[in-house]
Amino acid sequence: MATDILLILEKGIWFGFAAIGFAVLFNVPQRTLKIIWLIGAAGGLTKLMLMQCNIGIVIATFAGASLVGVLSVYAAHNKHAPPLVFSIPGVIPMIPGAFAYRMMLGLMQLSGTAVSNEAYYQTLAETASNGLKTMFILMALAVGVAIPMLISRKETIKKIRHKSDSL
Amino acid sequence: MNRQNIEKVKEVEEMLLDVGTLLMSNGASTGRVRTTVNRIADALGYDVELLITSRSLMLTVTEENGSDYTSSVRRTPPHGVNFRLVSGISRMSWRIIEDKLSLEQINEEISRLTSLPHYPRLVVLSLVALAGASFCRLFGGEGWELVVTFVASFFGLFIRQEAIKKRFNPYLSIVFASFAASMIAGLSVKLGIGDTPEHALATSVLFLIPGVPLINSLTDLIDGNTLNGIVRGINGFIMAFAIALGLMCAMQIYGL
Repeated sequence: MATDILLILEKGIWFGFAAIGFAVLFNVPQRTLKIIWLIGAAGGLTKLMLMQCNIGIVIATFAGASLVGVLSVYAAHNKHAPPLVFSIPGVIPMIPGAFAYRMMLGLMQLSGTAVSNEAYYQTLAETASNGLKTMFILMALAVGVAIPMLISRKETIKKIRHKSDSL
Repeated sequence: MNRQNIEKVKEVEEMLLDVGTLLMSNGASTGRVRTTVNRIADALGYDVELLITSRSLMLTVTEENGSDYTSSVRRTPPHGVNFRLVSGISRMSWRIIEDKLSLEQINEEISRLTSLPHYPRLVVLSLVALAGASFCRLFGGEGWELVVTFVASFFGLFIRQEAIKKRFNPYLSIVFASFAASMIAGLSVKLGIGDTPEHALATSVLFLIPGVPLINSLTDLIDGNTLNGIVRGINGFIMAFAIALGLMCAMQIYGL
């Protein structure tokens, strides 16, 4: 149990670095880099912790992505940068690369010559499962991160009205 | 209508077109482009109507208390991602409201923002390669597999940057990059470096994933900008297919 938790915490560090790599690729302002590391790690840790509690990977990813979305709205207010600067690098480490890779392998096998019927159906079932997981995890990521941004947009507009009234 | 007045509206319109196309081509969602352009026009005392598509921007600017208006269309440059610019323009739009910037000051600020430096190339390459290695660790890779993924991502991104510099088709650049990265990672599978070298092969191409188009696509769709959302989504899917194509070519060559 203790080693499990250590392993999860270690992976949190890697989640942070994956987020930083994409942040630099997207040329984010330098003052936001530390926060992006923290947000990426927090989102990834949430996902892994929930999966440790036997919650499905899609729901766990959705929870992680929503946390990233909420945190990036807060970070946006503090660091004066739009939320997407934090949220997009923050969720990218949760992308289901391994499932997508296995789905592609499966598709390649399926399109080749089928050896026997049984093996074919086995591959078909695995490919369908991997493909569906990839699709639903991607949707969970995108929806999870988009909703907090859309909710907070209304608040910002109110703030503009308020600010321009008080001038 | 007096001529001088029209000239002034035209100048404002040019600036708003700059802001809109810069935001759109550097990774902002449609909703953000609309809000920011409206916010700036509002602060300067103009009304603006926008038609935003993924590769062009059309707007009509009207004086708030006058009858002078102008319309024009501008083609949006090819999409890339530069969040420093998006963030800078967003900050500027607040300063326009709070500090009452003049049109000249705004234009100066825009040219300053567009000339802001990127991170040094070596830093970008190494940090993206580190991100690749992190992916490998997250999917269960260990030791040498991390090193292989680091090297593969480093050279993959290098190839992509060079291909973009030589003005290849953007999707083709992704195919080149994915092919290069998976050729390097595939070599480690062939030579049997590490315990589970498949991890290195699967994660060596992940630095290419079209994260910004796909997430912006969903944001646009939820936001009601359905057409732009669909366009971005299809763009993201073609990029994903380009990655798969490069990976598949390398795997066929190695016979994996």
